[in-house]
Amino acid sequence: MKVRSDIIRIYQSIHIWTGIITGLVLFIGFYAGSLTMFKPAIDSWIAPPSQVLSPIPLTKAQQLVDKVLQEKVASHQGFALFINTKESNQSPLVWHDSPQGRGLSLETTQWQATLNTQNELVTQQVTPSALAELIDMLHRTAGIPGMVGHEHLGVLILGAAAALYFLALISGVIFLLPSLAKTFLALRKGKSESRFWLDAHNIVGLTSLPFHIVMSVTVVVFAYHDVIYGGLQTVVYGEKPMFTRPVSTMHVPPTIDNLISVEKLLAKSKSIAPEFTVTNMVFSGLQSKRPSVRLGVYNPDHIMRGPITDYIFFHPYNGMLLNSTLQPGPDGLWNRVVASFFALHFGSYGGDLVRWSYFFLGLGGAFLFYSGNILWLEKRRIKLKKSAPEQPQSNTCYNMASATVGICIGSLAAVLFTMVIGKWLYLQVNNINHYYYSLYYSIFISSVCWAFWRGAARSSIELLSITAIAAFAIPATSVIAWFDIFPVWSSQSMSSLGIDITALVTGFILLFLAKKAKYRALNGAPDSVWSFHSYRAELRSKNINESVTTKEKQVARLSNS
Amino acid sequence: MHTKNKIQPDWWSKSLSGAILGLTLATLLSGIFAWVGYGGIDAPSKAQFNMWIIPPIWLLILSFSYLFQSGKTAFFWLFTSNAVALLILTWVKH
Repeated sequence: MKVRSDIIRIYQSIHIWTGIITGLVLFIGFYAGSLTMFKPAIDSWIAPPSQVLSPIPLTKAQQLVDKVLQEKVASHQGFALFINTKESNQSPLVWHDSPQGRGLSLETTQWQATLNTQNELVTQQVTPSALAELIDMLHRTAGIPGMVGHEHLGVLILGAAAALYFLALISGVIFLLPSLAKTFLALRKGKSESRFWLDAHNIVGLTSLPFHIVMSVTVVVFAYHDVIYGGLQTVVYGEKPMFTRPVSTMHVPPTIDNLISVEKLLAKSKSIAPEFTVTNMVFSGLQSKRPSVRLGVYNPDHIMRGPITDYIFFHPYNGMLLNSTLQPGPDGLWNRVVASFFALHFGSYGGDLVRWSYFFLGLGGAFLFYSGNILWLEKRRIKLKKSAPEQPQSNTCYNMASATVGICIGSLAAVLFTMVIGKWLYLQVNNINHYYYSLYYSIFISSVCWAFWRGAARSSIELLSITAIAAFAIPATSVIAWFDIFPVWSSQSMSSLGIDITALVTGFILLFLAKKAKYRALNGAPDSVWSFHSYRAELRSKNINESVTTKEKQVARLSNS
Repeated sequence: MHTKNKIQPDWWSKSLSGAILGLTLATLLSGIFAWVGYGGIDAPSKAQFNMWIIPPIWLLILSFSYLFQSGKTAFFWLFTSNAVALLILTWVKH
């Protein structure tokens, strides 16, 4: 396909600039996003067996609720009931001593309850691990700390990156158009290594283009919806309110005795969404002016508004429907359309198949950014070789290479080590949540420093190997746990076992990549930042020799005079 | 190809025009849909949808702003489109 050369050049520039600016931060967002596809599995993996009370049959749910409400006053402000769960990685009933704020809390102690075989109430207080939630935070902020108002700075930065990313996607497609007919899906191994990286970059980018467009647009929305709503209100809505809350008409005194029953809620849910299974009921603000109960409803064959389930909100005293994306009829149209936008981001629309697809697409995205940086470096090397073959690559290139290795591989290493060290420390400390931040950031920052100190060629091999060790340590922990010597536990559920197996496979892949990196360092182009034969180091030693000779000459001149 | 016909990069002026005027244009277009589209302005939960469609429209406008001949033409066309959209929106509100 013929495209004018000036258009190509413009979009090539756009692609390179937007890519290089946003690549590193998007790398973290994407791979961490892949991890969050299995958030419940991570929760299951990190929870010690002692922290999960046994599940109860659905028929006993009301009994459990009644007993807890009777004996534990703190539950009167709100509690969460978990039912119909396939795997027991949640205690049936949980509540907190004081109402929970919306943000992430590391101090949460949680009360849990179940019924034993004699129908007696069994309760315990635990400090649940926030690991899965923290990985989600890493996904949404790329680990960038700080707040701007009540939005996370990292979220806003990722939102801006996502907008630039949209430009990168469009520009990438445009400037690929001329070569598309010939080389689409070509992966040329024979020609040269940079050709291979380029082809791989193009294939991954083109074949997952819809996924990337979705991510780019949804992330801009997630980051800036408040600002956009502001614009809409001013320009479009004027005096009209954008959102209306249904007014509760039936007045039922909000005492705990009048709390709606589990059975009634299940029946109401069935009448609205008969094909959905209720998996949890979260009662909140029961003593406040806006009490609600949120049902988590699940059907893997439908699009769902949330990352795991869809939601139906009821009034917990008079049973009125407050909000739902599942309302049948024309009134629910816009709710359902918007729910599909959310589902497209979360991958919550096709069961496990889509869940795993998103996992791999996310990793593919991370590969796009990493390879993009590699290509940028390679292009500069070739350009320099043509113009000034004796000159080593610039400091900018060395720094970009170190930054790419340090930030990308360093973040991966930090997450994996945090997971495994966190598991080993869990039962030894009071509140494991205090350790996650320091573990992640200390390992991450050390990795970045290491990459700059050692240079990209060496540190890429070293960091990949270290990350492989962390990955292997995850299943190794489960194996060691069988011997019952240390305070660790092996996987208690299928999803938890899935984490072990995925980590094992990841370890092998990382070792393979380390091997390839070593090969490149030894056999690749000697003038590259990736080579052990660093022109820069040779030049530096040549300069030292020259300056020694100059000094000797000076001494000789002085002694001669 | 004549040099006269080549697109001038004009990075700053095109980017600013596309980013700012593109965003306002997207908001106005969404606004027109909000009033005129299925269900009208009072349709339940439609505000969410109206918000959602703004970024894709905006980003598409921004992406293709670089095809304008120059920063000046980019500004001219985007400004004019905004004016027209504003007129339509005002008319449609009543």
